[in-house]
Amino acid sequence: MVRANGITLHTQRLDPPGPAVDGRTGPTPTAVLIHGMASDTMASWYFTLAEPLSRAGFPTVLYDLRGHGRSERPATGYALDDFVDDLAALLAALDVTGPLLLLGNSFGGTIAFGYAARHPERVAGIVTVESAPPVPEWMRRVRERLARVADRLPRAGAVTEIGARRGRVAAQRAAETHRMLTDTSLAQELPASPLPTAGALAAIDCPVLCLYGGDSAVVELAPTVRGLLPQTRVVVLPDQRHTVLIDRPEEVRRQVFAWLAEDCSLDVAQPTTA
Amino acid sequence: MPAAQDTILAELTEMIDAVLGDFADDQVVTMDTTFSGDLGMESIDVVALAGRLQSRYGDTVNFAHFVAKLDLETVRELKVGQLVTHIAESLGQADEVGAGSR
Repeated sequence: MVRANGITLHTQRLDPPGPAVDGRTGPTPTAVLIHGMASDTMASWYFTLAEPLSRAGFPTVLYDLRGHGRSERPATGYALDDFVDDLAALLAALDVTGPLLLLGNSFGGTIAFGYAARHPERVAGIVTVESAPPVPEWMRRVRERLARVADRLPRAGAVTEIGARRGRVAAQRAAETHRMLTDTSLAQELPASPLPTAGALAAIDCPVLCLYGGDSAVVELAPTVRGLLPQTRVVVLPDQRHTVLIDRPEEVRRQVFAWLAEDCSLDVAQPTTA
Repeated sequence: MPAAQDTILAELTEMIDAVLGDFADDQVVTMDTTFSGDLGMESIDVVALAGRLQSRYGDTVNFAHFVAKLDLETVRELKVGQLVTHIAESLGQADEVGAGSR
């Protein structure tokens, strides 16, 4: 648990077991893994990319966003800038001062872009899964999605139905999401967030990898991302949905390590699971 | 069950109770208890447990590495006993390394 920006954030660090990666200059970036909004936690990264990144030589930081997982849940303070402020304060509290490799799942990717727009000099690379920078079109979709969840979960029997269909743990998670949307202003504040200017976003000049599921509506944002940030490598994983990170972790891992080697000159061999 | 594993199971049970807090059931935790199915632990609860393991055992017991070696199905059905065995083996290896350097 780390105190940052006035709240307590559940944080975990995975230090590389061996020496940092060879064959390049400059300090090794710290990998920061940012999860998605409302029903997600750091577990999505913990069980997929955290360990491979740390074993490849990247100091790795995971945390639960405010209101999520085991982090504190203040009633208000859920605009994009609050999440960016949390991340900046967390890194300061952890004494992480070097370059950053930001990886964000869903809205976590938007926080990564939001951080890079305000601290471009800190960011060595951005990976997003099923995400987009904070642009009006994406925020409109986030608003719709949050409204749909907020509308559905309070209905009588909704959580029971999820339990019957997907099991006890899924029902617990749905109930938890319902509590969060009831106890906080997230569903109202987040979609109304003040956004970075298009100029500030376009000034992000680090390598960017955006992964999408071919069957997810979010892939429709890919041309917008490429228009804004032409250096972006877009990879669409066919037949995958919004949950591609947890459904296809090995494929995501392969794409991330290929991009690290080819676009970031971080020539790391993807660790085997031996 | 070896005495060392007995002790580890008792410690692990305390950590699980701490992680689950008010949501802990009154059931007895055994080597065959599953984290998800029996204890109703969500993935973030398991991550929180990993944090407690790191505080208790340091980097000797690398939970992230342990689960990374398992396939997804095994992680979903992970049993307390598998983790107890892993901890016992990790601590045993650490002892051997320590003994070898003396």
